[in-house]
Amino acid sequence: MLTHEQINFVIKDLNYRGIVAEEIQEELIDHVCSAIETKINNGKNFIEAYHEVLKTFGHTGGLREAQHQTIQIENQKTKIMIKNYLTIAWRNLRKQGIYSFINITGLAIGVAACLVIVLFIVDELSFDAYNTKADRIYRVNEEIKFGGNHIKLCQNGAPFASAAQQDYPEIEATVRFRSHGSYLVRPANATQNIKEWNVIWTDSTFFKIFSVNVLEGNPNTALREPASVVISKKMAQKYFPGKSALGESLILDNKYNAKVTAVYEDIPPSSHFHFDIMIAQVGDWPAAKEAQSVSFLSENFNTYLLLKEGADAKLLEKKMPGFLKKYFGPQIASALGSDFTMDKFLENGNKWEITFTPLLNIHLHSDLKGELESNGSITYVYLFGIIAVFILVIACINFMNLSTARSSNRAKEVGVRKVMGSLRSHLMRQFLTESILVTLFSFMVALGIAYLFLPVFNNLSLKHLQLPWASSSFYFVLITGVLMIGLLAGLYPSFFLSAFKPVNVLKGHVSLGMKSGLIRSALVVFQFVISISLIVGAISVNRQLNFIQNKKLGFEKNQVIIVHDAYALRPFPNVQTFKNEVLKINHIEKGTISGPLPVEGPDSYRNNNTYWKGGNQPTPNNLVGLQSWDVDADYTATMGMKIKTGRGFSTEFISDSSAVILNETAIPMFSLGENPIGQKISTFDGNRPDGSPDPDKIRSWTIIGIIENFHFSTMKEGITPLGLFLNKSDGNVSFKFNSANTKEVVQSIEKVWKQLAPAQPFQYSFLDEDFRKMYSSEQRLSQIFFVFAGLAIIIACLGLFALTAFTAEQRTKEIGIRKVLGASVRSIVVLLSKEFGKLIIIAFVIAAPLAWLGVDWWLKSYTYKTEIGVAVYLAAGAVAFVIAWLTMGYQSIRAASSDPVKSLRAE
Amino acid sequence: MTHSSELLKGTLQTIVLKVLKDHGKTYGYEITQRVKELSDGSIVLTEGALYPTLHKLEAEGLLKTERIMIGKRVRKYYVLTPIGKSEAKERVSEFMEFIKTMGNVLQVQLS
Repeated sequence: MLTHEQINFVIKDLNYRGIVAEEIQEELIDHVCSAIETKINNGKNFIEAYHEVLKTFGHTGGLREAQHQTIQIENQKTKIMIKNYLTIAWRNLRKQGIYSFINITGLAIGVAACLVIVLFIVDELSFDAYNTKADRIYRVNEEIKFGGNHIKLCQNGAPFASAAQQDYPEIEATVRFRSHGSYLVRPANATQNIKEWNVIWTDSTFFKIFSVNVLEGNPNTALREPASVVISKKMAQKYFPGKSALGESLILDNKYNAKVTAVYEDIPPSSHFHFDIMIAQVGDWPAAKEAQSVSFLSENFNTYLLLKEGADAKLLEKKMPGFLKKYFGPQIASALGSDFTMDKFLENGNKWEITFTPLLNIHLHSDLKGELESNGSITYVYLFGIIAVFILVIACINFMNLSTARSSNRAKEVGVRKVMGSLRSHLMRQFLTESILVTLFSFMVALGIAYLFLPVFNNLSLKHLQLPWASSSFYFVLITGVLMIGLLAGLYPSFFLSAFKPVNVLKGHVSLGMKSGLIRSALVVFQFVISISLIVGAISVNRQLNFIQNKKLGFEKNQVIIVHDAYALRPFPNVQTFKNEVLKINHIEKGTISGPLPVEGPDSYRNNNTYWKGGNQPTPNNLVGLQSWDVDADYTATMGMKIKTGRGFSTEFISDSSAVILNETAIPMFSLGENPIGQKISTFDGNRPDGSPDPDKIRSWTIIGIIENFHFSTMKEGITPLGLFLNKSDGNVSFKFNSANTKEVVQSIEKVWKQLAPAQPFQYSFLDEDFRKMYSSEQRLSQIFFVFAGLAIIIACLGLFALTAFTAEQRTKEIGIRKVLGASVRSIVVLLSKEFGKLIIIAFVIAAPLAWLGVDWWLKSYTYKTEIGVAVYLAAGAVAFVIAWLTMGYQSIRAASSDPVKSLRAE
Repeated sequence: MTHSSELLKGTLQTIVLKVLKDHGKTYGYEITQRVKELSDGSIVLTEGALYPTLHKLEAEGLLKTERIMIGKRVRKYYVLTPIGKSEAKERVSEFMEFIKTMGNVLQVQLS
């Protein structure tokens, strides 16, 4: 038997001769040793024996030939080859633990974020797609422009639908929706009312057009009879638990007794409306009567058309000017005087246009006056799409960067493999396998992350997103994603690494790995450009929101409580009693009974009417669309609005019942001149039987005061003309209070309410909260923005962390020598962070103008906007720099403070 | 005399299979020794050529392997799989046929 030393000699010598392939190394060693042993037994000495054995192999050449052939045979078998690739990939990942970890987490976070956003986008894009006839359903819009007025709305007059269907055979069916806000609802045999938001008046054709399943009752006849109502499954279970709702009765707003004629499946979340209760628009109830009106000019009905198969909506749209002339023209003419014609109106640069929005476009492309619900926005879809791509790209860049950076460590491996006859294609396959393996791993982790954080995102975005585990296309997309990202991320490193010239590498020119510095730097810069832009975006959105919250509004929004649905206190003067009783409570300072509120929302009772300067004839040029709000005498005082000139309403003047207070914007619109106080404005006060305004019934109001402009819509819009009228309007009762203990205030008001109206729900809100709700979609945008900007930064920093760690490792010797020669820790830290510090400054220079463009574009949609100063950009740059520096700093300091003896001793 | 390696090339697999069939579990060096013995030294396998052949046969599923630690080194034993056994038989008979045919072609009487 050979001694250990002799065996070691054989192993080393064979290794030296280039026998390195695992597949054959062991065997050759055993073979050679066995042969030597035989020869020694025959009396040879070790060295002689060894050389004789080598000779039988054909010396070094023969040995290598054997190795070469073996490797080739091994590689021919795909199964073995893939197994081989996987083994090596796995070993490499394990050996480079921290880099692999960073690679996998970075990519996983990126993929998870991307996955969530893609789910969001898919959901947004699939709105209303549950309708089987979706491609044939269109909504009718009107755009009207005259004088200083410009209105874009998605509502039409009541007779529009029937007239259009009569005139145009390509229309198969029509349906109208008329909203009267929320209703107080109770079953006929109960006493307690519950407030329902999603109540709509509609036609019997609803189920013919929209694909909503009817569970009980007949969809064709359900809405035909007066006083019939159809309800969703949710409502049926709520009001008639445990029994069939069909044939039962509901009481609406304490006055309408309606019979349930059908129960339908809840309308899916991805719909642009979510009606829970639909009331038939036939019969004698006032709202139903309105549906039978013949006036094209009171535009309150959302009208939908179902076209016949093969009909062209564009062609129909082209016929609309004729329709306008035929039906709208005469009604306007009779109201304004006989010389009005539609043609002349349009010739004078005015506009009256009817357009159609395809059903599938409503959710993302429509933001008009009178939408059934507030819609989504295609801008957000694009924005989030871009963010998703950015995050994914950042994560992929990390992967590429780390792989190429590590290349110098693997250069020797590549060199030896090539010398051993590995083809370039083998190497590329090896590296691609590795990258696909990492990607696969990341995707699995990503699925876990997405699963955990989807509820958080749903909370933030008010969605009901779920991972579609059951859908096969989901897996298909995932697998395609793994392959695509794996290939893309692995392609560059694999090309780059496999192109090494073995001679150079093995000679020791390993610095080849650093040659990719330029590309790597470019990629780091790119990552930080994106990160900095996202930070600027997030800060800007936030600042605009703060600006809105803190802007002087023209009314006092703090410490005002609003009690909703005060009409439930009817009959009059119960509401007056309520107000007086509440005013007796401590801390309650003022109160007002009024429908309209200075914030937009479902309970804000807005009303827009047309007025002109008193004493004149109405013409298209002097008409002013005016927000006309019915309020009581305490309104301005309770809301903290300021009368600029003139006086406010007073109960002492009986004549105030025909007085008006205008806002500042309205004055020039009416061309009232220097002294508007005492002048009059007029409007139509009644309709003729054909529904058009009656020119013989005109009512005028005397202007008694001018109120300072206040914001009553979102800051996206300017302040439009507004008039306050002293009229009874019992939608809401608002109280100004002065107490830190809001809970006590609410409780004491509720006590009064319960005494006066025990069966009615007590609904309240605070004015400042309602105000904030107007901007909830922006708020959500900003939060989501922050989250994803944060993610982008985290992923980018992970990459930077690994890169610095890598550079520090590469330069261990250099640092050691510098320290021995007297360099301080600080100078080394600076040396190490300088390189990447520069890159971040370059990134900032590129990102700043890009971010400026983006932010400027977004702010354009606001009439009132904050200045985004240089400070924001500097702050974003500084944040990026500090975070990046902290990441690098840790590595640099660790490298700089290590003991030089350790790094220099080992070779 | 030793035979030319040109002649041996096509028969190497058959020889290895047959040796393994007769001898059972064997390792590389032993195979070369065995062949040398059986041929009275007239067939000396190029040691290098043996291993690619073994690996190829293994890859084709005719052989399986087993590693055993012997002191400091590892010895890899080869055994025929069931498919390998029938294949060995076939190859030998195929080779016999070949020799017969060669006898006819070369117009010589085989003893």
